[in-house]
Parts: sequence; C-alpha cells; structure tokens
Amino acid sequence: MVLSQKLHEAFKGTVERITGPRTVSAFKEKGVLSVTEFVSAGDNLVSKCPTWSWEAGEPSKRKPYLPADKQFLITRNVPCLRRAASVEEDYEAAGGEVLLDNEDDDGWLATHGNPKDKKSDEDENLPSMDTLEISSNKPIQSISSYFGGDDDEDIPDMADYQEPDNLIETDAATLQSTYLVAQEPDDDNILRTRTYDVSITYDKYYQTPRVWLTGYDESRMLLQPELVLEDVSQDHARKTVTIEDHPHLPGKHASVHPCRHGAVMKKIIDVLMSRGVEPEVDMYLFLFLKFVASVIPTIEYDYTMDFDLGSSSGS
Amino acid sequence: MAEQGSSTVLQLAPFQSMVDEGFWHRLSSLKLNELGINDSPISITGFYAPCSHSQVSNHLTLLAESLPSTLSELSSEPVISRGNRNRCPVPGLLYNTNTLEDFRALDLQSLLKAEGKKIWEDIHSGNAEKNSALLSRFLLVSFADLKKWSFHYWFAFPALALKPPATCVGLRKASQYFSPETAQSVSAACNEWRNSSLTADVPFFLVSVSSDSQATIRGLHEWDACQAESNELLYGFYDPCHLPNNPGWPLRNLLALICARWNQSSVKFLCYRESRGFADMELSLVGEALISVAEDWKRPENVPDVVGWELNKGKRLPRCISLAKSMDPTRLAVSAA
Repeated sequence: MVLSQKLHEAFKGTVERITGPRTVSAFKEKGVLSVTEFVSAGDNLVSKCPTWSWEAGEPSKRKPYLPADKQFLITRNVPCLRRAASVEEDYEAAGGEVLLDNEDDDGWLATHGNPKDKKSDEDENLPSMDTLEISSNKPIQSISSYFGGDDDEDIPDMADYQEPDNLIETDAATLQSTYLVAQEPDDDNILRTRTYDVSITYDKYYQTPRVWLTGYDESRMLLQPELVLEDVSQDHARKTVTIEDHPHLPGKHASVHPCRHGAVMKKIIDVLMSRGVEPEVDMYLFLFLKFVASVIPTIEYDYTMDFDLGSSSGS
Repeated sequence: MAEQGSSTVLQLAPFQSMVDEGFWHRLSSLKLNELGINDSPISITGFYAPCSHSQVSNHLTLLAESLPSTLSELSSEPVISRGNRNRCPVPGLLYNTNTLEDFRALDLQSLLKAEGKKIWEDIHSGNAEKNSALLSRFLLVSFADLKKWSFHYWFAFPALALKPPATCVGLRKASQYFSPETAQSVSAACNEWRNSSLTADVPFFLVSVSSDSQATIRGLHEWDACQAESNELLYGFYDPCHLPNNPGWPLRNLLALICARWNQSSVKFLCYRESRGFADMELSLVGEALISVAEDWKRPENVPDVVGWELNKGKRLPRCISLAKSMDPTRLAVSAA
C-alpha cells in the first residue's frame, strides 16, 4: 500500500471516530446520503430487487450507527461471463466509449448500460489473453493454483481415495459434468465464467455507499483480488478501484473508491432535475448501481427498475 | 436429454460448493480458541437459493455464519435466523481433523452412508415433511493447516439412489408445459411463497393446479389434504441448477421421499428457478419422473445406496485453498509495511 494512501486511511479513520454520522439530508445538494437514508434506500433495493439482501457481517466489525441486522447489502453469485478488457475492445470497435469521469460528459448512461448484444456475438468474441493488460506481464496460470497453495506435495493423492462402490462418476442418475471434465482449466470458456459477490457498505467519511467485489473462478474458488481487476473497466482498475480490507467481512476485497461518488451522484441528480425528474432518495441506490455498472460493465448484478431517467437514449 | 415423449434415465446435475473466506476465518479462530484438539463433528449450516440466472447455477454456500461463533453455541444446533429468501438453510456436518494423516484416513464412504441414513430416517419418520430442509443434507470433511493457513476440504451432498434410476418423460420449460393462464397463476403463487418470511426458505413444496387453472402452493406436510382434491399435483423444489435439460440435485431425495413415503410411481415435478429474484417460467422446468423400484427398496430398514462426494474438476480429489495472504500475520505485516 502506498504511503499516501495509508496516511489517508488513518486520517479518515480518525475523522470517522470523532464525527457523528450525517443526520441531515444533503442528497440533492451534495449527492451524499445520511445513515437513515442509506437504510431506507437499501430497504427499497431489497424489496425491488430481491437478489439483494441485508447482512449483519462480522459481529466484531459492527458499526453502531447502523442497525445490527442491516450493516451492508449483498448479492451473491452474480455471473461475469467475460473480462471487462475484452468488452472494451468491442466498444472501441464500435466507436469508442464515453467515460463517466470525463468532465465534458453528461451522457453518463449512454454507453455501458447496454453493451452491444452480448448473446449473439459471444462466440466470436472469445477474450484473447494477449489483450488483457494486467495479464500481459503475468501469464494466466492454471486456475486452481491462484489460491491453491504452493505445497503440492501435501495435497492428498487421488489414489488414496479409490472407493469400491457408489461412485458419483458411475452413478446413472448423476449428470456427468461435461465441461469441467472435457476441457482444461486454462480454456477461455471456463475462465470467462466467473461469479461475484457484490456488496454495498456505507462509507461514513464520504457519506456515500461503497461497492466491494469478491470474485470466484469457474470452480467457485476464491479469486485473488488482483485478478478481480480484470473485470473492472481498465480506466478504473488500480485508480478508482483499489484493494482494501472490507469493513464487515474478513480478507482483502476490490472496492470502488468512494472519493468521487458524491460528486458523480450530484451530477446525475442535476441531470435528472434539469430534465424535470424529481429524484427520490429511495432511488439513490438504483442510480448509484447504474453508475457503478460503468466501472464493472461485465458483472451482471441486478439494479433494474422500470423508471424513466430521461436518459439520452430514451424518452 | 430426452426428446419429448420418449423416456430416458433422469440425470440430475450435482450440487456445487462455494466457501466464503469468512467461513475459514471463523473455523480457524474456533479451532485455535475453542476447540483445541477436539475433533468431534460439528453441526453447520449451508445456504442455497433457487437458480436466478440463466447462465450460472446457484451453489451450496458456506459463510462465517455457517459455524457457531463460540463453544457454547457448539453444543446446540446452529441458530439461523429464518426467512432470508437468499439463504435457504441446509443442515450439514463438519469433520475437521487435526492432521493431514487423519484427513486422509477418514472413511469417506461410511461417513456418506451415515448422512444418507439420516435422510432415509427423516423420510420414514415424517420429519422431512414437516421440515423439508432435512432432505438436502451435506457433509464437509476438512483439515485446517493453521501453520500454513491452508485448508484441505471435501464436500458431499448425499443423494439416495433409486434402483433402478428414475426415467423422465417430457421434460420442458414450465412456460411450455402450462397454459399461459396457469403459468401466470403458478408464477404468482411461487412469488407469494418466496416473499412470505414463513415460507421463503422452504425449498420443497407442492403445487396444486385446479381445473380452472388456479395454482396454490402447499407444504409437503399437506400432501394428504391435496390427495383429497382432484387437482393436478406437481412436486416443486428450489432448483439451484441452470441447465435447460437437467434438474438439479435436490430432486433426488425428494423423489426418494415421494416413492418411499407416498408410494407414487409417476411424479410430475417443477424445477423452480428465478430470474432477478422472481419466478421465471422460461427457466423453470416441468417433467415427469417414472419410478419403478422394487418393493423392498422402500422398506425403512433397507437404507438405499448413497452417492454424493463432490468432484474437483471432474476428479475424485479434495480441494485446497491457501489463505496465507489474508491470514498469515507475518505476510500481513510485510504487505502493510
């Protein structure tokens, strides 16, 4: 971790300890949320998109200003079928992408919300490993070895487990998995099918929600947080997306840094209001998740709601 | 799988396991602070939910909350807050050994048989009808190497084997099986079941469709009442599997229950799947299973064969995960420097 980042974390921690949580709403003025607004926006998300739920997390990490059973929001097992880097190639081929952080840009919804038809062209666009910036100087290894330990000699030998009967491989009523057996783990098709647990915490310092990513590979083994960066828009990887301790869960997780969230949300709210849409604070997380989708375009979490935002493509 | 109308062996997609990092962290602290060298089995709870995406299956997931946090909770069954629709509890048993040698020496086959026997007994005692979560047990054997922060583990999802296996006819999308009107009513009834905190995490149920296309959902314990009606009856379950031509694992023990307890030889089943958290009749499947087991297969004292050790990339091997990066104090100190 860089020193400046550590210093900032220490500063932020101190400020969080000595200041009380925001109680006055500044949603429209600053794009930020009070604690109660976060909870009610979370309740709304859970009821409209039931794949999301509230969780309590580690009791030792519980934040006293949030209800004990509503510490953070999470949606598990979200598919991520291709690496973000390969999607960006598509955008570039289609005329380039519009960056959300770009100051001149208020078409914040225009590009990422609807990547060009994924299903039909999926086969032609197998991600090529050469194009992944992150992996170019660090070749992709067999998947299991990311977390699989370096002590191969300790892993019990398969021969130790020869069972005489009732084997799942010979059971007629068991679907014998074809793709896991037939293809080597370094096959593109398998590499593509990652899943994510996406969680949203409340960041008391920035007074905004904050998104965290926990990735799993095709055999549902934990992904190193560094590999998660392959699924982050390459403009954000290692800049706005950093790897830090999760406030409610053990371990290091990738997170979209919230320092600009308030400003971006404010901008989104301004755009809506200029189009005559009066945003409700309950909608905050839907707007927020829609904007986060530009950072993690290939992670297909649910934030859909049929509400008209007057986006540039519609209305 | 089957062409419509023809019958083939009903093949079910095995459950997959997924372990959250928090589970290993809590297991480590439990082992270091509470258990010591005590290696008796521990009751744990896994969680699953119906498949909610057409391209990925759901998994049996272990979280930190799957384990008791203190020794006092160890003696009792784990207390799980009910009603979270994304966390349907599945009872499990953890054998965590003290050494790698003990781990290798575990008699996997008899451990699996013992769990299968519990399911069989719960079927015959009627417990499985009252608490249908008992139909999907799981077993986890592990060796936690707390010097290297690596964890060797192996899951089993015991399934009672019908002999001969069931065959299947007419497996298709629920939207094709039901009339549009019925499909709508089934969806609405399922959504209601999933939204009520009393039933949201009850993974097995009965779907009763009246002659005027109205569907109602009942618990398994209401089977007798359903028999008294002349409605079409389907056996539903939360299907973690996403495949269009195969039901998922939980159906196996449900079929064993239907066959052993209710003596049915032709069973219409509904593989209940969701999209974005709501019933999806395009992803859900309906099929008919034909069961033709011998009479003595059903006898309570005759425990059927059990299968279920999870394969690791198609091989009969335990898995291993190293968490030294997030758990080893020396490595943490280095990365923090």
